[in-house]
Amino acid sequence: MKETRIGEFEEVVLLLVGILEEDAYAFRIAEEYKVQSGRSATIGTVHSALERLSEKGMLVSEMGKPGVKRGGRRKRIYQLTANGQAVLRNSRDIKMSLWNQFPGLSLDKLNFAYE
Amino acid sequence: MNRNRPPALVEKLLAKVLREDLIEEILGDLEEKYFAVAESQSVSLAKLTYWYQALNYLKPFAIRKSKSKYSTQFQMFKHYIKISWRTLLRQKVFSAIEIGGFAIGIAACLLITLYIKHQTGYDQHYVQKDRIFRMVNQWSEGGETGYWTNMHGPLKPVLEEGIPEMEKVARVVFWSWGDAGQNYVRANGSKYNIYENGFFYADPELLEILEIPMIYGSQKEALSTPNSIVISQSKAEKYFPNQNPVGKQLVLNDSRESTFTVGGVMQEMNSSSHFQGDFIMTLFGRKKGPGTSGWCCTNYNYYVKLTAGADKIAVEEKTALIRNTYVLDKLKEDGQAGIDEMKKYQSYYLQPVTNIYLNQEKVGDELKHGSPELVWIFGAIAIIVLLIACINFINLATAKSLKRAREVGLRKAIGSFRSSLIAQYLSESCFYSLLAVILSVILAWSALPLFNQLAGTSLVMPWLSWWYLPVLLLSVIVIGLLSGIYPALYLSGFKPIEALKGKVNSGGKTSFLRSGMVIFQFTATIVLIIGAMVTHQQFQFTMNKSLGYEKSQVINVMGLNTMDKQKRDAFKDELVKLSMIESATLSDYFPVADASVQNRNYWLAENRQSESGFEAARWSVDEDYLKTLKIELLKGRDFDKALAEDNSIIVNEEMVKALRLDDPLGKQLIDMFDERRTIVGVVKDFHFESLAGDIRPLALVKGNRAATLSLKVQSDDMDETIAAITAIWNRFKADQLIEYSFLDQRFERMYDGLQKAKTIFLLFAVLSILVACLGLFALSVYMVEQRGKEISIRKVLGASVNSVFALLTFDFVKLVLIAIVLAVPLGWVFMEYLLEEMVNRVELSWPVFAFAGILAIVIAIVTISFESLKAALVNPARKLRSE
Repeated sequence: MKETRIGEFEEVVLLLVGILEEDAYAFRIAEEYKVQSGRSATIGTVHSALERLSEKGMLVSEMGKPGVKRGGRRKRIYQLTANGQAVLRNSRDIKMSLWNQFPGLSLDKLNFAYE
Repeated sequence: MNRNRPPALVEKLLAKVLREDLIEEILGDLEEKYFAVAESQSVSLAKLTYWYQALNYLKPFAIRKSKSKYSTQFQMFKHYIKISWRTLLRQKVFSAIEIGGFAIGIAACLLITLYIKHQTGYDQHYVQKDRIFRMVNQWSEGGETGYWTNMHGPLKPVLEEGIPEMEKVARVVFWSWGDAGQNYVRANGSKYNIYENGFFYADPELLEILEIPMIYGSQKEALSTPNSIVISQSKAEKYFPNQNPVGKQLVLNDSRESTFTVGGVMQEMNSSSHFQGDFIMTLFGRKKGPGTSGWCCTNYNYYVKLTAGADKIAVEEKTALIRNTYVLDKLKEDGQAGIDEMKKYQSYYLQPVTNIYLNQEKVGDELKHGSPELVWIFGAIAIIVLLIACINFINLATAKSLKRAREVGLRKAIGSFRSSLIAQYLSESCFYSLLAVILSVILAWSALPLFNQLAGTSLVMPWLSWWYLPVLLLSVIVIGLLSGIYPALYLSGFKPIEALKGKVNSGGKTSFLRSGMVIFQFTATIVLIIGAMVTHQQFQFTMNKSLGYEKSQVINVMGLNTMDKQKRDAFKDELVKLSMIESATLSDYFPVADASVQNRNYWLAENRQSESGFEAARWSVDEDYLKTLKIELLKGRDFDKALAEDNSIIVNEEMVKALRLDDPLGKQLIDMFDERRTIVGVVKDFHFESLAGDIRPLALVKGNRAATLSLKVQSDDMDETIAAITAIWNRFKADQLIEYSFLDQRFERMYDGLQKAKTIFLLFAVLSILVACLGLFALSVYMVEQRGKEISIRKVLGASVNSVFALLTFDFVKLVLIAIVLAVPLGWVFMEYLLEEMVNRVELSWPVFAFAGILAIVIAIVTISFESLKAALVNPARKLRSE
């Protein structure tokens, strides 16, 4: 059976890979993570998550172009696989289904304080 | 420029530790981050961030897997162990002997090491042990130095005032003076007396000097009021269960004078302390007896604690000064002779507390000691047994080597280095020694209770001591390497072609070495046999020596000091009426170690002023003493029951010699207390002290203050006799249990040490014989295998079973004969050295040596016979048909 379980941080990283497309490499993802979530993660942490997700078959990667600001070194660009996309979709569906069952469906009634 | 680059050091380090396929992208990402921070914020922050990010990359996924430089070695090591295991299984008997013999050797060594460690570990528990000393007398005359512990009582205040380095000084009285020694005890208010040992007197400071831990009361206060006593925890539980006994009273021997108030409870004396006892009575504020004697007598042992950093030698010099300026004057005032000699030869010596138990200085005292000689001897035996076991291992491993010649050849042919062959055989021997050590620990552990029983110790395996397992592990490696190095070098030196052809010769150098080792083993074994036999002889000699008195069939009934004199005499008369009692005598003095002692200086009355006198033991006995102990009266008469005999004295031959008298009867003697007595009789010398020393002068006077009644029994039925005695006792003293002992048992207790030495000697002699035999057996197995074809051919050509057997056996017997030639003089020298110090010793005789030699040969022949006979009887066709 294919590995389909992922953690919260991994899910965010997967989403960011999808969003950044051609630009999805460890440094950029770490920067984007900070911009989007307001929390910071070191490049190492992100890289480790990327590596894990690749092992689970949700990402593939290949070496991209060298950059000037990186001392002429190449970067590794990550891409979602079909499996990765399926996992994301599945995760969203579960959450949507949960949201739909939430009392007081409408978003403005959501105050978490039961009367 | 440089400032605008990421730290090069970090880059380099990362490049070293990170996975190679990740280095490029990671360094790229980190550099991008660096420039991003440098641009938006500052360079220094960028550098800091770089460090931070780099450190965060040290995660398992990114770090280079240590590329196994070691894995080949590990694989090879695994392979070596596997091969060792297979070799071990292939030759089960051989391997069992190799490992078993080795294990026995190590186990013996382990036990002895524990024993030695225990013997040398006495009195190590004091926090300030290097400041605690026993102060003793030293007498140096003509190059010889002697020590003894008895000192003057009034010296204590002199030391305290005169020598500020002596922080605390305490006197102790061990010998039976006053109530020291054994007593009947009861709590005040209780009626029942219980007989107890371990009473002594001490100054209050003793508790602090010896750092005795207190449960109730304080070290400072517990003995500082007159008539106070400190008792041990177990005795407190016994007499005052479940209460704080401080302030309660103990009565000794039903005597109002000997009523003591408990001032404190101490923990039991540490079992590895030279100082033992359960009841400490204070010397403070006493009116008479112990604690009150003046410059006349030397009755006290001194313990001192020096101030921190005080120099022992300097303090000793100060004591000498005090002797010259104070003590000698006091002695002169007291009218003592020999002051000039004292000034010349006598001084004080501070014996470190840690030396007291083994007593290397041989200080004369009344305590129980270990023997430093025994520690050395046992240490030597341990090493010898271990050596024998090691040699076995080496011998067997080289003997085995022929079988493995092909293996070595093959290994070399396919490219093995010599070094890896050496590594193989060393790891094999370490593997074997690991098995042997594990087995030996199990052996030693299961043999420990037996050993404790034999040696009279209470050793335990120190599993939890921090040093134990590391030392064992270390010994695995050391023994493994030691025993493996020779076979390793020898085996790895084979030439591959010859080895594969099977042309390795087992003769020449190797067999010479092997013979040498067998000779060594047997030499050591024979010396041990001789040692065990001579110790046994010495012991028998001591036990059966004609002592000058009869110790068998004598019962001592103790604790009569709770009766008054009339009752005591009535009790004695009543007992003598019994048909099984031959005679009875009242006296506390006996020719065994734990009895009363008293010594006085004596002069011939007319020489009191002109000579320095000599010391003699002084025993007070009654008129039936000589009769009861069967001591022979040579001249004059025994004490008379009808007379008071206040002015009579009986002396032994040695005393007559010391007095230089031809006709001693009627001569007047005087002692240090100016007591004049006339010699009425002379007794034959008898051994009244340990047989290890000479017989000293002895004087007997008539006295009737005795706590012990001795009975000579003429019945064989001891049980009945004791029942009869007990019945009479209960009529006289129903509230006190009868307490008795047998004189011959007390005598044997004096020689406990010798007895134990004998047993241990015997034990290890047997062990070493066993190990040596195992080795010999395995060697003969090997040899028979080697010469199988030769024997078969001999048989085909007409050799008889006898001649084949002789041929095989003689090779080994030759070695044993050489060993005997070496061992006899060695054993002789060794035993002479051991017996040198003893006064009543056996003479070494040739039967012992002959017996040891014959025993060795017989054992060797029996051992070899198994295989030799098998080889000689086998059908030659079976060996020869395969070719």
